[in-house]
Amino acid sequence: MLKSTYKPSPGALQPLPPGWTEHKAPTGHTYYYHADTKESTYKRPGAPPASFLPQQPPPINLSDPNVANAFMAQYNAPPPQQGQRGGFGGGRGGFQPRPRPQPTDKPRSKVAIPGHEPWILVYTRYGRRFAYNPAKNASYWRIPEKLMPAILELDQARIRRKAGLEEDEEEEGKEPKEATVSARPVTKQEEEQKAEYDYDSSEYEEVEVTDDEGDGDGEGNAKRQRTEEPGADGPVEFTEADIAAQLAAMGADYGDEDIGEDEDWEGEGSDPPFSEEDARALFKDLLDDFKINPYSSWEKLMEEGKIIDDPRYTILNTTKARKDAWEEWTRVKILERKAQRATEEKKDPRIPYLAFLQQKATPKLYWPEFRRKYKKDAPMKDPKLADKDREKWYREYINRLKLPQSTLKSDLKILLASLPPSALNNQSTPNHLPPQVLADLRYISLDPSIRDPFIEAYIQGLGPPPTAKEGELEDDVATKKAREDRRKREKALQERERAVAEEKRRQEKRLQFERARLRDEERELERAMVVGKKGLQSQLAGERLAEKMVIKREDEDQ
Amino acid sequence: MPAIRPSSKRKAPPDGFSDIEEDLLVFGNKMKDAQNTPTDNIPKHQAQWPIFQISHQRSRYIYELYYEKEAISKKLYEWLLKNGYADAMLIAKWKKQGYEKLCCLRCVQTKETNFNSTCICRVPKAGLKDGQDVQCVSCGCRGCASSD
Repeated sequence: MLKSTYKPSPGALQPLPPGWTEHKAPTGHTYYYHADTKESTYKRPGAPPASFLPQQPPPINLSDPNVANAFMAQYNAPPPQQGQRGGFGGGRGGFQPRPRPQPTDKPRSKVAIPGHEPWILVYTRYGRRFAYNPAKNASYWRIPEKLMPAILELDQARIRRKAGLEEDEEEEGKEPKEATVSARPVTKQEEEQKAEYDYDSSEYEEVEVTDDEGDGDGEGNAKRQRTEEPGADGPVEFTEADIAAQLAAMGADYGDEDIGEDEDWEGEGSDPPFSEEDARALFKDLLDDFKINPYSSWEKLMEEGKIIDDPRYTILNTTKARKDAWEEWTRVKILERKAQRATEEKKDPRIPYLAFLQQKATPKLYWPEFRRKYKKDAPMKDPKLADKDREKWYREYINRLKLPQSTLKSDLKILLASLPPSALNNQSTPNHLPPQVLADLRYISLDPSIRDPFIEAYIQGLGPPPTAKEGELEDDVATKKAREDRRKREKALQERERAVAEEKRRQEKRLQFERARLRDEERELERAMVVGKKGLQSQLAGERLAEKMVIKREDEDQ
Repeated sequence: MPAIRPSSKRKAPPDGFSDIEEDLLVFGNKMKDAQNTPTDNIPKHQAQWPIFQISHQRSRYIYELYYEKEAISKKLYEWLLKNGYADAMLIAKWKKQGYEKLCCLRCVQTKETNFNSTCICRVPKAGLKDGQDVQCVSCGCRGCASSD
């Protein structure tokens, strides 16, 4: 009964060399850091390499079935995670496998220890317990010796109470076995425990439990305890574990309920205060924002999953609705693009190629050499130009390079003069020349340092452009309106999100309240059932009957 | 057989190809991966399932672009068919009533099957036993009846 999960930490065995400090990594590993050398290690510094020779465990009396069970459980257990009994001391911190994430233990109930007033006995969720002195603010997993007898008494009282034998002595015929058995093993077990711990008796003293140690226990050994202890600790412990299991099951039930309710809530919550159209428009905005390719398929969009995290994604409730909106959006987008392409002037593929020629071509390279050298460049790979044409232009350009400057200049002047005033006038800039000029060999064959001033001078001598049409203003108005609409929608979305968050918070609070009430009710129900049992038993006792009936009626009323 | 020309000498694809080029490339890569995965440890009849499935997806992609969204030109569509980006025969079936979702051509072939009938994936879900989960032998289809 008086189990203790105290486990001497390997670190406690040897003090760290000066300069080293011990830290805990977020993963739960302990590591050591030297502030001066800026060195950090998982291995405990200064500790001699741990000897892995299997140490002979102390002889265990296997004739006792309880001890044998415990021994077998330990023996069959897959490789021991840690020197649980502390017998395998040494710096093993570095070899500890990563602890599995498990829920941490928490105190569940407390009992004052009669006779030692400030002391209380705290039970944790996993059925462990420790002694706590609120006056000194000290807690011990290992029950201090002076508290032992009081706690033993407490345990016996509890067991008796559980068995329901407190007052009904005549019922003994049915259940006394458990009572006597449970009364005796308490002392016997303690002896066993002592026998088990004897070999590390140097540690058999009160040691203050530090937080991390407690954690380690909770993480590493919680499972083992479950499997081992029923054998080791006998029937008394079993009942407690049973209750714990029941509690756990109840907790799981609550958990399930939570999920169900949450889902319910999700169904309610995504009830959009938006009109269908607004929701769709928001979803389309989302598609716009992520620059989704309207030509890609829906499957690809889903596979990538870029848009799923966006809050606007859930504005439409069903995937079907989303797909519909997406489809509509793609159609519109594709149409838009087509229209844009139609209005947009065709870019002559010759322009980039000729610019490239002017940069790279030299009379030193023949065409095949030039092509091989620059075959990776984009203008050389452009599928819109035929290789033949490229070759032709290259040769022409090389030939033109050999001509005298004056010829080139006059050629360029002829080219510029051939353009109508709508294409080239005194308002056009040298950086934005019409494509007819740019896509001409005569334009590139003159060196830019001479050409640009020449063109500038020529442009300034030209007349003004013929009157231009005005169709751009309308476009501006349309885009402005679209932007306005969008801002409105986004604002509405924000408001909705705030409302949803508020609702969620309220829902959660209500949930918690309900849960608390449910728990209360269950506790009450349990109490009522206990009373009912006692009522049955004490029917023979007679004089208490009336009183219990009163209690029962009260409970039923509730 | 005509010589395979290098890409620099090939004729440029029709306009609009650049829009769908990226997606087609993704399909192409998927297909290459599927072709290069070893099939040692999977049942023999399943070895070609991914090939069929990717080919179906790609055909469907082009079919939808042309017939439903009208996003690509007829010229480009024909060029794609000619260059093997989509299965023209399968698309021809999709235009027929009752075959709108057909998974592959092998599944409507009644000849040389055990019961002289089409594949199990052509059976509507209503005609199957409750909870019967089928996956057809030829392409791994789970059901491509139009009424599903």
